[in-house]
Amino acid sequence: MKQSLERIQIPDEHEARERSWAVVSAAFAEREPQPRRRSWRPVAAVALAVVVLAGLLSPPGRAVLDGIRQVVGVKESAPALFSLPAPGRLLVTAGSGVWIVDENGSKRLLGDYREASWSPFGRFVVAARANELAALAADGTVRWSLARPDVRLPRWGGSRTDTRIAYLSRGQLRVVGGDGKGDRLLDAQIAERAPVWLPGGGHRLAYARRDGSVRVVDVDTGAVVDRDAPARLLDPPAATASPNGRWTVVGWADADQLVFTRLGRPRQIRAVSDVSAQFRSRSFPRIEGWCCAP
Amino acid sequence: MGAGRDERAFVRAAQRGSASGIEALFRLHWPRAHRAAYLVVHDAAAAEDIAQEAFLAAVRNLDHFDRGRPFGPWLHRIVVNRAIDWARARQLRGETELIDAGAAELAAPIDDSLLAALAALPPDHRAVIVLRHLLEYTPGEIAELLGLPRGTVNSRLRRGLDSLRETV
Repeated sequence: MKQSLERIQIPDEHEARERSWAVVSAAFAEREPQPRRRSWRPVAAVALAVVVLAGLLSPPGRAVLDGIRQVVGVKESAPALFSLPAPGRLLVTAGSGVWIVDENGSKRLLGDYREASWSPFGRFVVAARANELAALAADGTVRWSLARPDVRLPRWGGSRTDTRIAYLSRGQLRVVGGDGKGDRLLDAQIAERAPVWLPGGGHRLAYARRDGSVRVVDVDTGAVVDRDAPARLLDPPAATASPNGRWTVVGWADADQLVFTRLGRPRQIRAVSDVSAQFRSRSFPRIEGWCCAP
Repeated sequence: MGAGRDERAFVRAAQRGSASGIEALFRLHWPRAHRAAYLVVHDAAAAEDIAQEAFLAAVRNLDHFDRGRPFGPWLHRIVVNRAIDWARARQLRGETELIDAGAAELAAPIDDSLLAALAALPPDHRAVIVLRHLLEYTPGEIAELLGLPRGTVNSRLRRGLDSLRETV
């Protein structure tokens, strides 16, 4: 019996193992407390603080970046985004539309959308433009689309087999299934802030309301889980982490640069210049996510 | 060094923050955890999610894990109970839930006669068969893992095996 059970073929078995290892190792890298994290956290914090302060308080320029180099040891500053320092793909929104950047640096323009986010496992992208919400394959093929007025801030959450997309439309919060079905109103009294899918089982969504409260709702049952949740649930992360948790990237708008920071040893920072031009954009591009190795 | 000592060493290393420790644990336990989930739920994508979530739970609780206890049963308890819950929920909702737009690409037809025979059993019976004959737990251990009386485990095992013999 044991041998028979062990011989049964599981579809996609090896790919499943490697996908899961990528997720588990990333979670492990983010875990705390860990002795090795103590060694890099202050350095990374200093590096990020310098980046942020440079953007906010001082004129942009090489001198500041040189300062960062001295703090954490930048190896090089590239004139173009030749490659990503860790496995995965970047999702970037620019004035020209939504782009995917592969690990080898190749870029694809998915279309003239203004906002986007990854599906939970990075196989699809949900993108928004003025009056349309669309689910796209990584090559830009439209899997489905919904006509809705003034679509904003789409966020895709859930498990591999059961997903939901939350988005704003003309001041309302709406939710639709990952297959584009079951679109429905969730709340009409919301603030203009990106909703956040909470980790763990089920489909729990945190969002801001006009009265200033933050609410957590189970979107499948409609039950309000928390009427006054902490506002920090909606705070965006200070930096975008790579899928393996070993690098982060932040955009430095004033210097028109992306700054990748390695969170461990050897400490490294890699800067990429002239970012706007590379994405054919007059405004500085926004990083929407760094998702899953294929 | 025995497998148990290996495992304890991996747990200790992972608790100290060693990436190779957690990777060794993952590589050691993933195949059977994933297979156990698949044999209960009969859905590759769901089995992947279930096994993955069990490992994520392990990572979250690593600091509190008692090194004196084996890691496998702790992981298998999570996997099998989640798989049973998932299979029961699927029976209730008749597969009409919304899915990831590409999930169908991952599905494959069930063409193995043993797998098909297992699929015909109720999820609780499948779980008992998997725990006994794939993961090789004793009926007493299965009763503890699933929180069932030992007599229930024995009867599910007997009825499950009878049904499999008739079908295969």
